[in-house]
Amino acid sequence: MTDAVPLSWVLGLSGALFCIGLFAALARRNLVGVLMGVELMLNAAIINMVAFWRYLEPRFITGQNFAIFIIAVAAAEAAVGLAMIIAIYRNWQTVKADEVDSLKG
Amino acid sequence: MYDIVEIVLNGWLGLNAPEWLLILLRHVLVAGVLFGVVTLQFFFLTIYERRAIARMQDRVGPNRAGPEGVFQTVADGIKMFTKEDIIPDAADRWVHLLAPCVVVVPTMLMFAVIPWGPGMVPVDMDVGLLFFFAVSSIAAVGLMMAGWASNNKFSLLGAMRAVAQMVSYEIPAVLSLLAIVMVVSTATGSGLSIVSIINHQAGLIISSQEVSSVPDLGLGWFVFTPVGFLAFICFFIASLAEAERPPFDIPEAESELVAGYMTEYSGMKFGLFYLAQFTLSFLLCAMTSIVFFGGWQGPGVSWLYNQGVTPLNPDGNAWMNVAAGVLGAFYFLLKTYIFFFVMVWLRGAFPRLRVDQLMSFGWKFLIPLTLVNVLSAAIWVMLTRWGAAQGAGFVEALGPANDSFARWGLAFVLTLAINAGAYYLLVRANAAPGMDEYVRVDDELEAVKA
Amino acid sequence: MTIVIQIIFALIAMLILGSALMMVLAKNVIHSALWLIASFFGVGALYLLLQAEFLAVVQVLVYVGAISILILFAIMLTRAADLAGETGRQWNNRWWLSLAVAGLLFGALIVPTVIGETWNVAPTEVAGAAAGQATGIAGAAELGRGFVYEYLLQFQVIGVLLLVALIGAIVIAYDETARRRRVLTLAEELELKKRQEAREAKEAKQSRKGKGEKPLPAPVPTDTLSKGNEGNEGNEGLVVR
Repeated sequence: MTDAVPLSWVLGLSGALFCIGLFAALARRNLVGVLMGVELMLNAAIINMVAFWRYLEPRFITGQNFAIFIIAVAAAEAAVGLAMIIAIYRNWQTVKADEVDSLKG
Repeated sequence: MYDIVEIVLNGWLGLNAPEWLLILLRHVLVAGVLFGVVTLQFFFLTIYERRAIARMQDRVGPNRAGPEGVFQTVADGIKMFTKEDIIPDAADRWVHLLAPCVVVVPTMLMFAVIPWGPGMVPVDMDVGLLFFFAVSSIAAVGLMMAGWASNNKFSLLGAMRAVAQMVSYEIPAVLSLLAIVMVVSTATGSGLSIVSIINHQAGLIISSQEVSSVPDLGLGWFVFTPVGFLAFICFFIASLAEAERPPFDIPEAESELVAGYMTEYSGMKFGLFYLAQFTLSFLLCAMTSIVFFGGWQGPGVSWLYNQGVTPLNPDGNAWMNVAAGVLGAFYFLLKTYIFFFVMVWLRGAFPRLRVDQLMSFGWKFLIPLTLVNVLSAAIWVMLTRWGAAQGAGFVEALGPANDSFARWGLAFVLTLAINAGAYYLLVRANAAPGMDEYVRVDDELEAVKA
Repeated sequence: MTIVIQIIFALIAMLILGSALMMVLAKNVIHSALWLIASFFGVGALYLLLQAEFLAVVQVLVYVGAISILILFAIMLTRAADLAGETGRQWNNRWWLSLAVAGLLFGALIVPTVIGETWNVAPTEVAGAAAGQATGIAGAAELGRGFVYEYLLQFQVIGVLLLVALIGAIVIAYDETARRRRVLTLAEELELKKRQEAREAKEAKQSRKGKGEKPLPAPVPTDTLSKGNEGNEGNEGLVVR
């Protein structure tokens, strides 16, 4: 596997995925869409972890351990984020990021 | 299988095929055989359920197509194929089309890790049990797609109910298996592999991996231990809910929701949902029999298999392999069909639950019970396997790890006490809140009548 | 074998990136959530290709089975905004700025770094990997050992974090006003009705006493109600006659 696909391909893939996620998180008006972009960025980070583990240190599991930690944090973040979106929807009747602007001067 | 393909292609035909082609062909062959088996299972189970439920409801059931109605499912299939495929105008065409596929494909993938007999497993994955549940959770996405794309309030409500039910009952199912995985992985190091779970259940009432002097009759099933018994009950109830079998069939409660998420489907797409449901029921029964009742384990199987060609014994008798496979598959299917019969029986016996009853039963009763069971499993592991090296020197006074009836007996009594106590407390805590209210009302009414 | 692995990698990469792009471009929020699920699935396949079996299964279990379901539920619970007849991409006004940031990050930072760097890649395939069995590669058992030996503290912290997130999500999303009355059992409903009838009868009695000539209020509605109860629920034992 490691000699068929060089490490830089996997890193390039995860970089592209990260940038798509970044664009979605910045450009989307829908708050759920923003959260989806954040999930994509986290996934790109996990791909990096796993790729470095597999190519550089396959005998030590550290990379996968931290990948699991990231997945757990992402799950917690998704749960709390979506709960906040539902709370926002209840108060403003909208989930558009630029319409929730009560604090604007 | 790989060897057979290699012998045929490279030896007999002299094609000198590359390695990847051989691997691909092997998997395609196994998958092809499995698809045939799945279809036959589906035909058989449908007619089995319809006839059995008919007997329970004092009817005859389908008995016209073929002898005793065995071809009824074929006739139904032809009807499904020839029916018009209706897509509602307001539906989202692509999602509506994809949803049944997303529901069916995972159920087929789950067969990849099911062992049918000794040495008869399509893929012995290191994380097979987890794979089984991960793949089964994909189906929830398909249900959501079906409910949303139909653009119909019954469909959407049914899908929401189905997904909420699947997600919340996955937790007790996985937690009850976690207890078993703890016991097995301390013994073998790979408790998530389904094959090693089955191998652990050799013995007679007691697993021969816990007390090695026990004769191997293939009866050391987990259901004979307190931990396994409680896990079995919880897992079976949770799998009823996950397969949407009555009495947990509220996502498609006919009297409330027409047909739930299937309302807007017709023809073969409806047939696919139906197929997925039956296959999932079969798979969950199979999982119950594998994890708690030893799968293909039974008297004689391992003896026959040891005479045959195995990695340890390369020049055994190949016919013994066939005999062990047939006997193992027979035991496995027998157990599975018994559990399927219990599912049908429950359908005949119980009325449907309400949504709130379903949820509070899952969250307030099953999940705490399975959590206590995980604790019991930890105690079980400590008492049967640990020694001074793990900081539990006091149990070594009873006998050496892995070879002592006294330690096994102590673990049995202790976990039984814990589990029974937890069950009793939870039943008391969950007793219907209005029970004394009923009694009070009854008394008052008696007074009014008098 | 090399070319097969490369083709598989290319297919997986196309699945991941293509569905991620469709996720950004889709006009319907539900569609973009479905594309996101496809992308998660592709990432799981990539882990399988990288021989991280356990992680691949966890990816499917957590992302496809749980987080995406959560996202779909959140979209459906906040649907009124979606039904307001908005078409178009639903990007904000300065989406071109975001595009420039993301594009520059990729083109000017990530690509040159990835190409320019030489990595200290572990020598070759680990010994014993020939038969398709990755014996030298750490698996699920080592992963578990890592959690209970080296990273025990982190593991516990993650557990606490998940608990806090669970409680926090319930507290945030819990709606005090939406708390509904518990569903009553038939006997309790009957009891309530009985009390109400008694109260009404008492009031009627009092008003009759006060005005003398006013006739008794017709008992027809309560009567039909209790009859309906009788017929439907088969609860005759509890009905007062």
